[in-house]
Amino acid sequence: MKTSSPNRAPSAAEVVYTPASDLRHPARLFVQMWRDLLASRGLAWRLLVRDISALYRQSFLGFAWALLPPIVMAAGFTLAGKANVITVEATQLPYPAYVVLSMILWQTFVEALHGPVVAVTNAKQMLARINFPREAIALAKLGEVFFNFGVKLILIVAVFIWYQMPVTWAASLAPLALLSLILLGTFFGLLLAPLGVLYQDVTQGLTVFTGLWLFLTPIVYPVPQSGTFATVVKLNPVTPLLVTTRELATTGVVSDPHRFLVVSALTIAGLFMTWVAFRLAMPFAIERVSS
Amino acid sequence: MKNAQRREPVATTSNETEEQLLVEGVSKKFCRSLKRSLLYGVRDIAAELSGRSRHSQALRKGEFWALDKVSFRLGRGESMGLVGRNGAGKTTLLRLISGLIKPDAGRLRVKGRVAPLIALGAGFNPILTGRENLYVNMSILGLTRKEIDARLDEIVDFADIGDALEAPVQTYSSGMAARLGFACAVHTDPDVLLVDEVLAVGDLKFRMKCYRHLAKLQERGTSFILVSHNPHAILTVCQTAIYLSHGQIMAAGNTASVMSQYEEDLFSISQAHTNGSLRLPEKSTRESLGLDITAVNFKDGYGTVLQAPLSGKPASVCISCKAHREMDDVNLTVAVSNLSMENERVLYLSSQYDNQPMSIKPGNVELQLHLPYCGLSAGLYSAKIVVSQATVNMLDCVESFRFRVSSNGITEQNLFYQPRNWKASSL
Repeated sequence: MKTSSPNRAPSAAEVVYTPASDLRHPARLFVQMWRDLLASRGLAWRLLVRDISALYRQSFLGFAWALLPPIVMAAGFTLAGKANVITVEATQLPYPAYVVLSMILWQTFVEALHGPVVAVTNAKQMLARINFPREAIALAKLGEVFFNFGVKLILIVAVFIWYQMPVTWAASLAPLALLSLILLGTFFGLLLAPLGVLYQDVTQGLTVFTGLWLFLTPIVYPVPQSGTFATVVKLNPVTPLLVTTRELATTGVVSDPHRFLVVSALTIAGLFMTWVAFRLAMPFAIERVSS
Repeated sequence: MKNAQRREPVATTSNETEEQLLVEGVSKKFCRSLKRSLLYGVRDIAAELSGRSRHSQALRKGEFWALDKVSFRLGRGESMGLVGRNGAGKTTLLRLISGLIKPDAGRLRVKGRVAPLIALGAGFNPILTGRENLYVNMSILGLTRKEIDARLDEIVDFADIGDALEAPVQTYSSGMAARLGFACAVHTDPDVLLVDEVLAVGDLKFRMKCYRHLAKLQERGTSFILVSHNPHAILTVCQTAIYLSHGQIMAAGNTASVMSQYEEDLFSISQAHTNGSLRLPEKSTRESLGLDITAVNFKDGYGTVLQAPLSGKPASVCISCKAHREMDDVNLTVAVSNLSMENERVLYLSSQYDNQPMSIKPGNVELQLHLPYCGLSAGLYSAKIVVSQATVNMLDCVESFRFRVSSNGITEQNLFYQPRNWKASSL
């Protein structure tokens, strides 16, 4: 048997654990956060590869599962619209294309939202036993969101070709808007994740709530212009991000850039604060999970 | 019990070694009610986020101290045993050291990488192959891809799983999965290794390999904390030990003395049932199968009843019976298991196997198993005693006769008593 390494010098890194809140030493906290983020990249990649290969190895239809929901949704609403079961105002794009594109964006948002909660729930046992950069599991889920979107990109291209929609230069900005949308989902998800370790209600409630949220977002209908419902839809933070992404990718004309920028800025600030909160809260959540 | 017998809890023999771990007055509280525990968790999170003190030193309703003002230090390359009954706070202490949870009082200082052997095969996905899982597991334990590549052969060699490396882990036997998990954990080159009861996995050959590897790591300067119910594991690996009970350090220091106090305490709890002899109530004629055991005890070579047989000295197991009729072909079976060593069976003696059946007359009789010397080493044992007729016909039995074997002199390292003489002679 070989020896893996000679006598090593003792690692200088020393950690002190005390009952005091880590917020008392913000500088030290930020240094640790940065170090953990760097350290968690490799692990996040491993976890991502693990989750994706395990998922597709156990599935017969594989990638189809990423493509089917928006298609089914679009088909359903198009049929309902044609049969006059529901009335939808005219959209700038062909209606089926409108629903497919919006659904893909919405799904990506929902995946980003559920990601952190699902990640900590699945990794509960691991979290309770090993101290590793916990950012890694959230990052791995984020990677999965991007991967799934990559798969759905096939569908997006297909829709553009089928409906012969032109691509403008503005489409090159669409990824930035999409990133904003994904970060918004991660922001909410990360906020709920520590509570999700403690209470099952978080997972349950999130599923119910996203069902309602879907209808408060202009996905199967265009952005309403007047009335109370219009106000609600406009106050929905997903609206400006999702609509802007869709507009950049298709027409190239952004209807409400101001609101988009404000929500994006708030998202980034909020995400950073949630990250701090996540770090501080996780030990207390883990404490209540038996190992 | 709180303060009276509490010793100054500093467990170290070598102050000059470099410090790897320092635990100072660490306390941790827990709550048994799940609902309340979760609620407290939310409140603690709120307090932590607001940056205020969470008043962790005070117990809230329903809480208790799982660890209470525990202090010790561990030098580089030193190893410490941790003993105590279930719920004494051993695992909580390990979780605090690995930084999984925060202390409620006191402070811990840890240098270098801590590898927990509490988590064998954490993150194993049954669908993926052994190799894929190995990479994931080692990444979780904090190694980079390069470091894993460099160790791969050694790990695979150590785990000894052969071609199964390319098969999904769900096809592994539990022993194989545990071996792979253990191999991953010990090859992380930790500075402090926390070993929690995991050496019980695998077969004897693998266990021996583990101990050899631990010894090698120790030579390289790795410190250990070893939790085990097996005193032999602790005695052979650790220089110092800590005995925890209800979250408090009951004894700390030299391993042998800590272990003997721990075993004494274990014994004192069961003493009420034993003190070396057992009396049984008389059975009614309806319950009786023709012969009833009335008492069990130990006697020395002169017929005096012994509180505890002495290791290496003559002793007889005496079973007093009341026989209701004359019987031939009566057999006595005594099966002894070691309570100090996870109830392992150490003796199975049967007059039937020895081809020495006994004949008894009606009335009070005594069946004797005479041991020219008691080969059991010091410790706590339990004997199952069965009296039967012919091969299968059980007459009466005692499920558990607890007794203690004491010793003169140093016997901790011996698994059994070896009769011996020493001499020097010229050739």
